[in-house]
Amino acid sequence: MIEFSNVGLRYGNGPEILRDLTFSVEPGSFHFLTGPSGSGKTSLLRLLLLSLKPSRGRVTMFGEDVSNLTQDRLLQMRRHIGIVFQEFRLLDHLTTFENVALPLRVLGQPESEYRPNVTELLEWVGLGERMNALPSLLSGGEKQRAAIARAVIARPKVLLADEPTGNVDPDLSSRLVHLFAELNRTLGMTIILATHELPLLDQFNYPRMLLSKGELVIHD
Amino acid sequence: MIERILHLWPARKGAAPIVPEKSVAGRTLLLLITIMSFLSAVTLGGVVLVQKSAIAWSADVGREVTIQIRPVEGEVMDSNLRTAVSLAESTPGVASARALTIEESQQLLEPWLGTGLDLTAIEIPRLVVVQLSDPVDADIEGLGRNLAAVKGASLDTHAAWRQQLNTMAGTIVLSGLLVLILIGAATVLAIVFATRGAMATNREIVDVLHYIGASNKFIAGEFQGRFLSIGLQGGLLGTVAAMLFFALIGTAAGNMLSSEAGAQVGVLFGRFALGIDGIVGIVAVVPVIAALTAITSRVTVRRFLAETS
Repeated sequence: MIEFSNVGLRYGNGPEILRDLTFSVEPGSFHFLTGPSGSGKTSLLRLLLLSLKPSRGRVTMFGEDVSNLTQDRLLQMRRHIGIVFQEFRLLDHLTTFENVALPLRVLGQPESEYRPNVTELLEWVGLGERMNALPSLLSGGEKQRAAIARAVIARPKVLLADEPTGNVDPDLSSRLVHLFAELNRTLGMTIILATHELPLLDQFNYPRMLLSKGELVIHD
Repeated sequence: MIERILHLWPARKGAAPIVPEKSVAGRTLLLLITIMSFLSAVTLGGVVLVQKSAIAWSADVGREVTIQIRPVEGEVMDSNLRTAVSLAESTPGVASARALTIEESQQLLEPWLGTGLDLTAIEIPRLVVVQLSDPVDADIEGLGRNLAAVKGASLDTHAAWRQQLNTMAGTIVLSGLLVLILIGAATVLAIVFATRGAMATNREIVDVLHYIGASNKFIAGEFQGRFLSIGLQGGLLGTVAAMLFFALIGTAAGNMLSSEAGAQVGVLFGRFALGIDGIVGIVAVVPVIAALTAITSRVTVRRFLAETS
């Protein structure tokens, strides 16, 4: 599903942030992406999200080389990728329901069509009672669950998560990763979850991609 | 004030707008578009008023020619007047011809010579007012030729006055159109800056929309919808204000025109009545401003997105 071959990345004329990355990710798998701050986790996620192009090497996603994609094709491929951020990035003026429904609205679905699906998903992530609340009234855990729901509502093939547990307490962190695991198990979604919380990783038996100074030192 | 008025605006139904309706840039732009719409509508209304007055005045003047008969030694004025009236009445396209009486002629001279003077001892030029039934086909040239038989007679068709009036009215109309173009250009520039400001303010929303797979076209559409709404609201508020302005001016002028001096102003400049065509023109400012706002913001958003994506 995802293949990186000798991929390097630099911003402008600066030094290489990522060097010689070679790995593959199988459909339906779950990977932790870890490493210390500044190791390049977010840059790698941005490459996977197709919001950056590699400076060298070859990236293949869904069987297609991404180096020469047209704008339309890039957009189509990006719709197969969901993203969850550490800082949630919910739109403050929209309710939980409206935030979660956003990807379907972007796809042009009418509200009458997506309302049952969004309601069902919000109930599944435990936000059934908070559908009409604005993000400012949600707790950190609720915000992150809403962000996860928004990322998966359009059933992407790949779900990326950039430090999704960074703003919640350890107990909630574990519950959130269980939620990701549930999505992986029930929907067969490929998940790459970036975190630097090693105790959290130890609770789950998923392969780890360890980045250090821009290089992938472990991929099991 | 504008906020209070906008509470009367019907609330949007369905899904909430992705671009927040209440943003600082939106309020500022709304005020600016309201002012621009008001200026456009007032300029347009002014142009319509001037043009209508000029056309009416020109038409009035064009329906009348004047024969002037100067006193000539050895000629009998009354006889010349009768001949001139007779020649005029026999000319095709002439409805009537009437010689002004001595009293009427004296009244015409009062503004220059003052009242109370006895002018019977002085030979003054006399006028024959000729009303045309058909200004286009009236044989004015034939009348001029025939008047050569009357000594001291000359024909004044007011052509020079009409030409000057038309030139003045044309200049005012062109100036008004130039002002409208400048207002339009200023509006476009203001919308460009406001749109870029709004895009920068809402950068987080743009990024999130990109990340969830929204196309630039979709994002531009969302911003365009927001700006179209602002353009419609601003256009409507400005136009309503302009209508009130003209109604106020019309009422004030109506009161003023009740006096004799005001009546002369009314003759010269009309009664500040826009008429149905003027009102239609002013109402047309609303969709024009809204379309200008929507198109400008869309182009600006697309350029902004192309630069940043």
